[in-house]
Formats: sequence, structure tokens, C-alpha cells
Amino acid sequence: MFKFDPYSPEIDADPFPAYATLRAEYPCFWSEDIEMWVLSRHKDIVMALNDWETFSSAKGNLVSELPGRQGSTLGTTDPPRHDRLRALIQKAVTKRALTHILEPARATMRKHLDALKGREQFDYVSELSSRYTVDLIVYLFDLPNENLQTVRDKAVLMVQTDPKTKQKGPEHIEAFEWMQDYAAKLVEERKRNPGEDLLSQFILSEIDGEKLTDKEILLTVTTLIMAGIESLSGFLTMLVKNITDYPEVRDALVADPSLIPDAIEESLRFNTSAQRFRRCINKETTLHGQTMKPGDFVILAYGAANRDDEAFPNADVYDLARKPKGHLGFGGGVHACLGTSIARLACKVLLEELLIAFPNISKVEQELRWMSSTNFRSPLELQIKI
Amino acid sequence: MPTVTYVDFQGQSTELDLAEGMTIMQGAVMNGVEGIEGECSGSCACATCHCYVDDAWLAKLPEMSENEEEMLEDTASERKTNSRLSCQIKATATMNGIVIHMPEEQE
Repeated sequence: MFKFDPYSPEIDADPFPAYATLRAEYPCFWSEDIEMWVLSRHKDIVMALNDWETFSSAKGNLVSELPGRQGSTLGTTDPPRHDRLRALIQKAVTKRALTHILEPARATMRKHLDALKGREQFDYVSELSSRYTVDLIVYLFDLPNENLQTVRDKAVLMVQTDPKTKQKGPEHIEAFEWMQDYAAKLVEERKRNPGEDLLSQFILSEIDGEKLTDKEILLTVTTLIMAGIESLSGFLTMLVKNITDYPEVRDALVADPSLIPDAIEESLRFNTSAQRFRRCINKETTLHGQTMKPGDFVILAYGAANRDDEAFPNADVYDLARKPKGHLGFGGGVHACLGTSIARLACKVLLEELLIAFPNISKVEQELRWMSSTNFRSPLELQIKI
Repeated sequence: MPTVTYVDFQGQSTELDLAEGMTIMQGAVMNGVEGIEGECSGSCACATCHCYVDDAWLAKLPEMSENEEEMLEDTASERKTNSRLSCQIKATATMNGIVIHMPEEQE
């Protein structure tokens, strides 16, 4: 009897065999383990993302949702409120608006790479990707330079789930509450002393002459810090994992750095950190002979759609020449990742500088420990040789 | 299935039957039609799916949101009166036969 349990450590480590079965045999699967539907084919997920009126985000988008987020963040509201909230931040994070972070990103990357010179091996997660990500978010949000390790640790913890109890554990809720307190102090400070940073702009915005609610501000800021730190560093880790897993890709990028954007897009398709998000059915919907009822939760498995041969021939092969368009590495539709330009820019600078500093980076045989999460997938540590 | 005709900058046209509800952007990127990028994955957050809509169809399209209006300020090729973002146009029965033209460049 086939099962799909996104809480299980096996799915954290390697969800792809289960995804293949889902796509081939159970394209609209009711998982008894979590009492949710699971969609896995690219075409079905694209249609679900386009149809936000049926596949609503208003009851939360995390598979195991954190308390109180429903209805108060970008990811957990539906249009039209969602569109108005998003428009307040959108302009500041377009590719053109972000050119100012290019040089600071390069400078911080070089600083962290310099610190590694002379070493033979290092942990890419703790010594490079997390430090770089935190520096970027500090710059973008103008965060105070204190407690940064704790901010990072809590961001990573709050997205995790407990495989045994199949829900958020007390340590995950505690991390979320810590982050809310951190955000609350930040919001207070910015209200008194607004700056030019992204958070100040958002906090002070109005929709039709009305200020945002305190809850909207607090939970959106909390989520932005979480996504900026955890989701970005998780993906940066998968990106470099791919490049060390496939040395021929690394060599191609060293020989011709103009191929780096292609490697980023193929990694977003092949190994996105955002594996699964959740929606709630608003209108009865029948798909592949199964009827989903209003109130049912449904998981959209982006990671499965990205390996769908119907959309991407030989989808299980990492192909630098593929130039995949339409992948769901950032999700899609109205709720697609807000930070796509930040992420692409951060990835490009990282790979450019890393491959100049250490053109021979290579894989170390190791048993990877994967983050326990029903949404995101990345290893907690990644040793690489330089 | 609504039919959409994509005409590239050189005048080459491709006709596709799209599933109802799919966007014009998705139709292009998932079927290898060059000239539409869709960098932001359809959230109306970039302008790399910019297209020119044949005048006969322009009036039938849903109205532009404020967000789309703003993003169209940032197109790589000239913005014209018939400029739209193709991620904001869904293929529906009323759109059957729509013709869209791709700009010279998207980024």
C-alpha cells in the first residue's frame, strides 16, 4: 500500500522516488498519514496555482502551519487583499530596484571566501551560505548587528516539523515566537525612527488611506525574515550541492561563467528548496476521478512537478543546457516567491566569486543530515573540499 | 481549448491550443515558444512576459491591475498602447483565436 508522509525523514532525504509513484499512479492522492490531498503533476499544479479562487491560501500555506499566520501575510491571504499587500513591497524587489545590493553582496562573499583560504575542507552551510545570507538580509532590512547567529538559528528552526508527532514541536513554535518578538521590537523601532530600508517602507504604507493592521505588519515582517534567511540559504546549499555532485557542470561554469544563470535555473528546477506548499479547497473540485471537498487541504508538490517528464523530458537528469522555463522552483501564479530577483542575484554573485576563489571545489563523501521539514528541503551541513 | 497565435519579432507565428485557464505566458514557456521569459513565475512582478496584443482583441481582455500598469513601466522593449503582461491573460473560450506579438527583447 503506497503512502506519502512528508513528515518522514526518508522524504526529507529523497522525495523523488515517492514523487515518481505519485505522478504515475496517484496524481490526486489522499494521504491518510496527514489527511491531505497531494498533487504532483506539473500541469495540475500550474492549474491549481492559476485558480486561487478554488485553491485558496487564506487558511495558511505551510503544510504544518504556524499559529496565527492565516490571513495576515502575503502567503496566507488571497486576492484582492494579497495583491494590495504585495504591491507595497513589490517595487522594491524587482531586478532593476536591486542593483544596489550587487556590490555589497560581492564584498561580503569575498570576505567570507578570504577567511576560508588555506583550508582544505569546510562546512558550506555554516561557514558560507548562512553567513552570506544573513549579511544580505541585514543589508536589505537594515537589521541591527546583534544576535545574528540566533536570528539565523531561529529562522531555520521555525520552518521545521517533528517527524514523530507530525506537527510543529514546542521548539519550533518557540522559535517562531522568538522571531515574532524580534520582529515586534524592530517594527516599534522603525515606527519611531523610519529609514530607507524595505521594512520601514512596508511598515509605513497604507492601503486606500488605511494603515496596515499591526498583526499584518508583524507576521509579514516575521515571514520576510524567515524566508530571506532560511529559504535563501537552503537553496544556495542545494545549488552548490548540485555543482559538486556534477563536476562536469562545475568545470563548464569555471570555463564559461556566463553559463551560471543556466545552472541556477536548472538547480531551481532540479532541486528547489521549496518542495511543497499547501492550499485549501474552496469549491468542490474533481480531478483524476477524485473529488476534493471544500475545507480539504491539498499539498502542491513543486519538487514533484519539476521532475515531471511531461514538462521536462528526462527530468531526473541535471542538464546544464536545458534552460528550463516554467519550472516551479519559486512556485507560480499570484503567490510565486516575492524574492525571485534577490535569490537569483545572490546565487549568481555567490557562484561567480566561489568559482574564482576555489575552481576545484568538490564533493566529500558524507552522510547528509537533512532538515526535518514538510515544506523545505536542504541539508543541515555540507562539507566541501576546496 | 482556446487557440493562441504567438508572432515573434521576425514575424514567425506559432499556433497553440492551450488548456482553459492557462496563461498566455505559461503557454509560451511550456511549449518552447521563444520571446517570452516569465522570470517571476507569473506573479506580475517583472516585465519579462511583455507582449503586444492585436488591437481586435485588446478590448476583450480583463482590465489591467495597478500592479501590471506599474510593471509595464519597466519593459525592455518599447511600451505601446497595446502592451500587456502575458502572465495576466488567461486562455478562455472568449479569447479563442487571440493573436499576440512578442517584443524584440525582454531583459
